Amino acid sequence: MIHSGNVRAPDLELATHYAREFYGRRQESNRLWIVPRQAITELDDPDLLKPPFDRSFKRPGGYLIKHKLEAAKARAQEEG
Amino acid sequence: MSSDERAQTFYAHVMNGGKVEADDWIPDDYRAAVLKFVEMHANSELMGVLPERDWILRAPTLRRKLALTSKIQDEVGHAQLLYRVAEDLGKPREQMFADLLAGKTKFHNVFHYPTHSWGDVGIIAWLVDAAAIVSQQALRDSSYAPYARTMKKICWEESVHIMHGRDVVLTLMNGTPGQREMVQEALNRWWGPLMQMHGPPTNPATDRDLTWKIKTKGNEQLRQEFLSIYVPRIWELGLTVPDPELRHDQSTGRWHYTEPDWDELRSVVTGHGPMSQERLAFRRTNYDRTQWVRDAILGPAVAVA
Repeated sequence: MIHSGNVRAPDLELATHYAREFYGRRQESNRLWIVPRQAITELDDPDLLKPPFDRSFKRPGGYLIKHKLEAAKARAQEEG
Repeated sequence: MSSDERAQTFYAHVMNGGKVEADDWIPDDYRAAVLKFVEMHANSELMGVLPERDWILRAPTLRRKLALTSKIQDEVGHAQLLYRVAEDLGKPREQMFADLLAGKTKFHNVFHYPTHSWGDVGIIAWLVDAAAIVSQQALRDSSYAPYARTMKKICWEESVHIMHGRDVVLTLMNGTPGQREMVQEALNRWWGPLMQMHGPPTNPATDRDLTWKIKTKGNEQLRQEFLSIYVPRIWELGLTVPDPELRHDQSTGRWHYTEPDWDELRSVVTGHGPMSQERLAFRRTNYDRTQWVRDAILGPAVAVA
């Protein structure tokens, strides 16, 4: 689901009609969520969402094994 | 942080490609600049349907009638999307509508001119929409994010309009000599307004819309892009562009052309175009006639019997 935009309407029923007209007229949507703006709580604090810590241990890209693997293979060859 | 310091931080942010959302803290100057820009765009979409609306009942085939009606519905939808963006910047749509009808705010020059034939319908849908999309592609990267997002949607829909326009022109060009003459005649009349459409070149140092990345390309750059793409496509149909100075300089990559009439542009956008007052009058009448719809929607809820 992606944020498409917003409509101004006096009630939910009309908001639904307008939303369909603007975001569904060209069959560009499979589903539409229509929500009053006041019902949305936004979290955008970068300290919470993207804190500046090195947490690379949480990602596959945080493990660089190339040299370790080469060394281990070389040792296995020697011993073998 | 003082208001000035906050503004400095904000401007540094947008000048470095940062984006702004509707509920961010926004300095008054930037807010006013975006509002003016978006409001004129919204006005233009709304007024832009009127030249084409004239031709719905005179379209040559049912398919053209359906396509033209659809295009007009799209444009009104674009106006509504853009008024929505502008409203979030603090100006109610009732005020924007009142200012448009009172002649206090502007709409683009091309929509102040009459149409004479079906040839105009093709030329407008092809070349006027093309010139518009050249600007609008660049606006997809506007610093004001709600506008940028709306532009992505609008550009996708405009691309259909250009295909429709080009198809109309090609059909005429493959028709009778009379039909080809009709297209050439329409092009002769529309070329001047088209060349004026992107506006006179502005000084980048003083063009705040450019500095603050509300728009990301200058007027002259947009005109050059338009010429580069569309002049070859005009010439390849055997049409002539009514400007003896028009040529592409291979060494600099720039198009040379007769300087557009900037006085005409100024006069037209301030309401002195051939159709300016007639079209605004239509909008006023239409506004009065549709009051009952606004009363029904916005009035107090009535119990269903």
